[in-house]
Amino acid sequence: MSAASPAARRGAATRAVLYAILLVFAVIYLMPLYVMLTTSFKTLEEIHQGNMLALPGEWTLAPWREAWGSACIGLECNGVHGYFFNSIKIVVPAVLISGLLGAFNGYVLTKWKFRGHKVVFGLILFSCFIPFQIILLPMARVLGLLHLANSTGGLVLVHIVYGIGFTTLFFRNFYASFPDELVRAAQLDGAGFFTIFFRILLPASVPIIVVTIIWQFTNVWNDFLFGVSFASGDSAPITVALNNLVNSSTGVKAYNVNMAAAMVAAVPTLIVYILAGKYFLRGLMSGSVKG
Amino acid sequence: MSFLHINNVHKRFGETHVLKGVDIAIEQGDFLVLVGPSGCGKSTLLNMIAGLDSISEGELLLDGRCINDVHPSRRDIAMVFQSYALYPSMTVAGNIGFGLEMRKVPRKERREAVDRVAKLLQIENLLDRKPGQLSGGQRQRVAMGRALVRDPQLFLFDEPLSNLDAKLRVDMRSEIKQLHQRLKTTIVYVTHDQVEAMTLATRIAVMRVGELQQLGTPHEVYDDPNNLFVAGFMGSPSMNLVKARIVEHDGVLVAQVATGDTTLALPIVRDREALSDWCGRDVILGLRPEAITDPASANHRDGNIHEAELPVDLIEPTGADLYVVTTLGDASVNARMRPGTPLRPGERTRFAFDVSRMVVFDPESERRIRDEQVVDSALEETA
Amino acid sequence: MSNASPDRDGGARERLQRWLPKLVLSPSCVLVLFFVYGFIAWTSYISFSDSGMMPDYTWVGLHQWSRLWTSWTWGIALHNIWVFGLLYIVSCIVLGLILAILLDQRIRAEGVLRTIYLYPMALSFIVTGTAWQWFLNPGLGLEKTMHDLGWQSFSFNWLIDSNMAIYTVVIAAVWQATGFVMAMFLAGLRGIDGEMIKAAQIDGAPAWKIYARIIIPQLRPVFLSAVVVLAHLAIKSFDLIVAMTGGGPGNATAVPATFMYSYAFSRNEMGIAAASAVFMLAVIAALIIPYLYSELREPRS
Repeated sequence: MSAASPAARRGAATRAVLYAILLVFAVIYLMPLYVMLTTSFKTLEEIHQGNMLALPGEWTLAPWREAWGSACIGLECNGVHGYFFNSIKIVVPAVLISGLLGAFNGYVLTKWKFRGHKVVFGLILFSCFIPFQIILLPMARVLGLLHLANSTGGLVLVHIVYGIGFTTLFFRNFYASFPDELVRAAQLDGAGFFTIFFRILLPASVPIIVVTIIWQFTNVWNDFLFGVSFASGDSAPITVALNNLVNSSTGVKAYNVNMAAAMVAAVPTLIVYILAGKYFLRGLMSGSVKG
Repeated sequence: MSFLHINNVHKRFGETHVLKGVDIAIEQGDFLVLVGPSGCGKSTLLNMIAGLDSISEGELLLDGRCINDVHPSRRDIAMVFQSYALYPSMTVAGNIGFGLEMRKVPRKERREAVDRVAKLLQIENLLDRKPGQLSGGQRQRVAMGRALVRDPQLFLFDEPLSNLDAKLRVDMRSEIKQLHQRLKTTIVYVTHDQVEAMTLATRIAVMRVGELQQLGTPHEVYDDPNNLFVAGFMGSPSMNLVKARIVEHDGVLVAQVATGDTTLALPIVRDREALSDWCGRDVILGLRPEAITDPASANHRDGNIHEAELPVDLIEPTGADLYVVTTLGDASVNARMRPGTPLRPGERTRFAFDVSRMVVFDPESERRIRDEQVVDSALEETA
Repeated sequence: MSNASPDRDGGARERLQRWLPKLVLSPSCVLVLFFVYGFIAWTSYISFSDSGMMPDYTWVGLHQWSRLWTSWTWGIALHNIWVFGLLYIVSCIVLGLILAILLDQRIRAEGVLRTIYLYPMALSFIVTGTAWQWFLNPGLGLEKTMHDLGWQSFSFNWLIDSNMAIYTVVIAAVWQATGFVMAMFLAGLRGIDGEMIKAAQIDGAPAWKIYARIIIPQLRPVFLSAVVVLAHLAIKSFDLIVAMTGGGPGNATAVPATFMYSYAFSRNEMGIAAASAVFMLAVIAALIIPYLYSELREPRS
């Protein structure tokens, strides 16, 4: 009894330290988000006079309203809402089409293997990892030739092409864990290529569909390089608009409006993350490890 | 004409020759078991019958029709897979009915067929479940239901029991056997488990590295093996194999085994004609454990019992039997004795050899040395 | 042949079935071949051409490459990516491993903490950059906060200091990616055989020794993956630098990615831009191809 008690006390102390360290890290990680949020509800006056870490003395929605509807980006003063919808117009078709192509590719590459299937997969997969600077110049020219420069349609195409690698990777790894006998059984039952895919594999693919959609959604929504390179002006996505708003050198910096606009850009992916963090992590992991 | 005829079938994957000319013919209603260690080509052969692997050379005839180039779905074949391969997103009813649905059988007929099969397999209460909610044994039943519902000419089973635990495996084994006896269907069944092969088959095909070693009834394969491989593969504990020399002793052909300070001479009663050519040459003797017993358990009526005193090295009681290990020549030999036989390791005891069950192999070619025809009367002659 | 009449009608359909898989795969293959490998070839050619504002297919050999290599800004960019990459990778791995080990001690609120550590990964680099730019703002941000709290001598003006600005980018980038590295390590830790640890405990090894001698050496594949992924992210880093510093002050935080962008689209020097892009690709390829090769090579069955 007397021998156990100091050891137990030392154990409890260790755990207290452990929790304290983890808590400090949590505070550090939350700090930027907290500052961003509180700043977006403050008046500019309070920002200049008060403390960054303090809660707003007087809560105001004006910065959000301005960021959404009337902040000046470039020459126009309509806020970020148009660009927000641009991003949606880009994300939805890009995610759906690249996802469908990836699903088909994964299906063929695992269940209908042919000579050289590994080489094909390797070539597709490598496209995930190229620095996109290598394709900026020719892509700008091709989009021009296709009359897709400075349009959301052009960005949809770009995101489909460079999304195929990851979507194929996800579905390939997922379908590789399905026994080949499943396809063989279905063949004996008389099902063909598409029947097997749509009736047997796809209905069992909900988890990987969720992973793929979340991954592609996050990637496309957060893209900046393609947006700034291929879509200036009215067709720019929200990230480009946010950067233009924040880093335009003219006038007084309205930090509260900037933070509100940043939150507008961040909210969709944050919501997805909070609702489906597990799937988000799975996407990240299979993007890095074979899985 | 036989019902299923596998005629000189070859399979090559690039450089590797997986099947080197296999010939098997079975009749309608036969239960053919393809058995052999992994890598012997048995699963490849099954997949070729199903049409899931192409045939490199040779011919496959089902009911007189060459099916080499017929699509799997039109061969009138159903298959039960090792992993069961149940469609994960469909209910049990959906799984069983899928083949009929693909063949555009009207919904009502389909429903009836599914119900009939479910009743046969006693899985009526599972029809609305998904495969993920089933136990291993239940999945096995559904997989069989999916094959049965199609009422095909030929059933293929690919190691269907290997994913079940030991008890369930025995239960399902007898159920499959009952099903076969009741439905009188033709079955080709792949397994690496020789007990399964013995209990289920009407015909066993023993295979090894792409070649057929022996095709015969379970009795033939067990008691009359073609070569050392078949002799060693079938049976558990496996056949005792002992080096010996054939000599003629007072006009009687015997197999001499030098063991310790004595020499054991076992008279030859089987395959005497062929073995008379082997006088003075070394051979390998094969004796099943149950052909070596304690003198009291031996069947002395036919006069084929030869007794010898040997050391007891080890005793292994299994409950039903008592296996006694002794040394014969330079090999350890298993004898099956009556449980309760009072023996202790280290002492010597009398062993009774049933020489009528002794088989002899050529040590070079590993082939059986046997007479042209098996003459049953040869057994009586020594009496 | 004996299999004549009943199967012939299915012949055309079956032939189609045989070609369908490749047919379905082909659009993706065409897209990837053209938009990835075709474009790589084109950009590589341009790096040996006389292209300026418009492509000019006159072959000039290594002219653009020597201009790139003598460029003052490119030197800064290379130096920066080296500093940034090294600090970023090392900090992420050290912090990520520490957090993972701490979280692996049967922590009660593990789920919540994990969510908090990982959420920055869901944010756009532009949002991250905007937030940190504000957070580190010398006039109103952290510095002023510290002054308000009574620490008058506290000074933090790295964001506008040419020598220090790149480190602010490192801080923000580490903040964003540590949670991910932590998650990778956590998954690795959870995959370690518990019986081995029990055996070590019975042998009387103290906890830190079990980690140093038994657990961490077994995480080698995770270290490798983390280094590859982080190096790849570092070389591609563009958004965060644009959002936080715009490559400034001056050229102080230029990296190859911003260099390439400004030569391609602002300075109209396609040739140099192409050469810099090819260089980036070569570095990443040298890193990724062996990694992918080893990951994809399956044990022969």
